[in-house]
Amino acid sequence: MRGTTVRNRLRELRDARGWTQGALADRLDVSRQTVNALETGRYDPSLPLAFRIARLFGEPIEAIFDPDDATADAQSS
Amino acid sequence: MTSRLDSVDRSKGDRAKARAYGREFWPGMAAYALVLAAVLSWGGLDGHSSWRFVWALAPVLPAAWIARAVLRHVRRVDEYQKLLLLQSLAVGFAVAMLTAITLGFLGTAGLSLADAPWIVYGAGMLGWAVTGICAGRR
Repeated sequence: MRGTTVRNRLRELRDARGWTQGALADRLDVSRQTVNALETGRYDPSLPLAFRIARLFGEPIEAIFDPDDATADAQSS
Repeated sequence: MTSRLDSVDRSKGDRAKARAYGREFWPGMAAYALVLAAVLSWGGLDGHSSWRFVWALAPVLPAAWIARAVLRHVRRVDEYQKLLLLQSLAVGFAVAMLTAITLGFLGTAGLSLADAPWIVYGAGMLGWAVTGICAGRR
């Protein structure tokens, strides 16, 4: 069962810098497959990886990752 | 529209990890094939010499090397790949256990198969491989 889904701006931030998925993967020390899974929402990163992503793009975590409000509200009610 | 940024080429890190895995895995596979050929040629496993037990255990050494390569690979990959790898290993384990239980009960009921351990091994490896391939395509 999947819990709260988390949307992210990874693709947008990567495109803005002109990086391929492979180039971003090398910067984060993960695989291209992992970057693809993150961008397509199939995988939510661990906290350490989320911090690495935030540090790399120079933005706070909450500016990159956003819990899907509809799902979060449904779970809390 | 597909742009250059949509390239699905593996990253440098992916290639380095794949090379490291290959350096450890393929020598093990080659040694396993060589030892297996030697055992089948000269081992005399169907004979009466007590040396046949030593010959029969010989392939375990390269097989253990291969298992070590796989475990080191699991430790080397990132968190998402680790999840996929462990999922496929779990499916392989579950398939092997179900096969073992099935063959065990059939044996209790009187249908015992001489090759049962190899069927369990094959089923487990197949479960692992199929799940791994499906996960890799995601």
